[in-house]
Amino acid sequence: MMAEWLAYPFIFLGIFFEAFMLVTFISRPARTARDRKAATRTPSVALIIPCYNEEDTVVRSTESVLKVDYPKDKLQIVLVDDGSKDRTRAIMEQYRGHPQIKLIFQENGGKHTALNAGIAATDTEIVGCIDADTTLEPDALRRTLVCFERPKVAAAMSSIFIASPHGILERMQSAEYTMGIFYRHALCSINAMYVTPGPFSLYRRSVLEKIGGFTFGQQTEDMEMALRLQRAGYEIDNMPRARVSTHAMDTLPKLVRQRMRWTSGFMRNVLFDYPDLFSSKYGSLGLLILPFGLVAPIAVIALFALFSYRIVHALVLAYLLRQGVPFTWHLFSLHAAGWFYLPISILSLLTVITCVLGVTLVVVGKRLSNAPTNLVSDTISYLLLYGLVSPIWYFRATADVIIGKRRGWR
Amino acid sequence: MSLVTRNVLIAFIITIAIGGSVVYAVNYLNGLRIKDLGAIQEKLSVDTLSLETQISLLESAPCSIVGTGTDLTSELDDLGQRLSYTENQLGSNDPQVILLKQQYSLLEVRDYLVTNKLAKTCNTKQVTVLYFYSNGSDCTNCDRAGYALSYLHDTYPNIRVYSFDYDLDLGAEKTLLSIEKITGPLPAFVIAGKTSYGFTDLATLEKQFPKGALIATTTATSSTTKK
Repeated sequence: MMAEWLAYPFIFLGIFFEAFMLVTFISRPARTARDRKAATRTPSVALIIPCYNEEDTVVRSTESVLKVDYPKDKLQIVLVDDGSKDRTRAIMEQYRGHPQIKLIFQENGGKHTALNAGIAATDTEIVGCIDADTTLEPDALRRTLVCFERPKVAAAMSSIFIASPHGILERMQSAEYTMGIFYRHALCSINAMYVTPGPFSLYRRSVLEKIGGFTFGQQTEDMEMALRLQRAGYEIDNMPRARVSTHAMDTLPKLVRQRMRWTSGFMRNVLFDYPDLFSSKYGSLGLLILPFGLVAPIAVIALFALFSYRIVHALVLAYLLRQGVPFTWHLFSLHAAGWFYLPISILSLLTVITCVLGVTLVVVGKRLSNAPTNLVSDTISYLLLYGLVSPIWYFRATADVIIGKRRGWR
Repeated sequence: MSLVTRNVLIAFIITIAIGGSVVYAVNYLNGLRIKDLGAIQEKLSVDTLSLETQISLLESAPCSIVGTGTDLTSELDDLGQRLSYTENQLGSNDPQVILLKQQYSLLEVRDYLVTNKLAKTCNTKQVTVLYFYSNGSDCTNCDRAGYALSYLHDTYPNIRVYSFDYDLDLGAEKTLLSIEKITGPLPAFVIAGKTSYGFTDLATLEKQFPKGALIATTTATSSTTKK
């Protein structure tokens, strides 16, 4: 009973956060932002694709960029091989001599160095970064560029969805990414975005020249860049109807590694490198979003511990009761059906409401972007799996930050 | 007021409204449960009184109403299960739960007396078990004993278990305790008139039953085991 009371503040915060996001979503700035049409102005754009061992994906990504609806004389593509050990370099060579494509080969120095090399090799007004496993839809670039019509906007991003997810793990990530579409849109409408996602983000070159290029950024150079832009007083915008697709992690260890990097990267960036952002000067980013981002892992771990404790406690109790006595349904109080025995408590109802709100966010994300995802199977996978696997990376990432342990990228 | 401040306030009000609605809904449902229990208890009270009156009226041939008695016990069983569930939901110290338990114990005592009377007069093969437990920490084996009795009751329908919370402040129960001379540590059992204390395992408990009592039959008689 006492343990249950520990859960209520976290569930309360979770419902409050989801309600805040939904209210923000229906507020005028978000409504106006999502109704914008694709840009008519066509500034020069360079799209940089950093590659490290991307032999399986680089061609698909490059071809999708070549097919975007944009004047060819204003679009450059830079493929940067960051010292790959596989056939990436050889595959990139097939684009040598292409009028729109530049090739750069460098010693392995990390993603941020590859991005900086690409930026340095171009002189366009807008610079874009694309992960090598990302595919752009033809109108994604034009639609995203509309964000730069406001002069204070330094970076812009699109919606990201998972292409053809297979299996429950990938479908769970698909729902998560679809929910991310909603969050990004709502956060950008109040300029509270704390990351410019690696799969596809555009930057105003003049701003990058002022604040400097990408850095190691605690292994999350996209978060570090976004936080630096926020600190410098710029805005980060989003166009949800611009879509790009990426690939999900196909195994749990890969997923855990990726999310540990994201979570610990976020924590280290905001706690160690950008603690000054926790200020009213940065509005909802400083007072709400970043604090919530830090509380979220603790909440997930605490709720997981509580529910696990309840389940284990019930099982142990049942085992002790059953010792030496054959099974009878009295063990689980499953005497009869009917409304009387409905297991409705404050905790169970609040948990259901939190889940319903979460599903609502996925549905809204899907409608917002019109991404070709399967809402039903994705949502079911998410509800079944996320609560079980996410505590793994939240716990390990939090522990890593506390004890100061650093891990590799992959 | 800025947009963010306004949204924070609206979200806060929504959250409070959701939390308040949930608390209200759960309390309302628990209230319905209590009402439901009260209604069953009232009906049982009338049924028991009716049965007792029938026995008095049919002094010469009370065995003709054995069937009615069986129905009553079945309802008492259902009531016991519901009360046990409600006690788990609301806690043992809830005043309404305590009141309902007192009324339920009274019904049990009356059913016990009627069952014994019918068993004597009509020579039925009912085995009655009085089971005294406590929710306190001083009765570490009460949960196990309760479960073992539930198993025996489910397996051998001719066993009727009447469970009583030792800590319940009820005159009739105290009288029953003194009649049965229950003094020892809990759990305590009165199986077919013989008193025993403590619970170690199912086999030992089974030995307390008279020979031939533990025979599985399909006769639909039942009672309840709480705790």
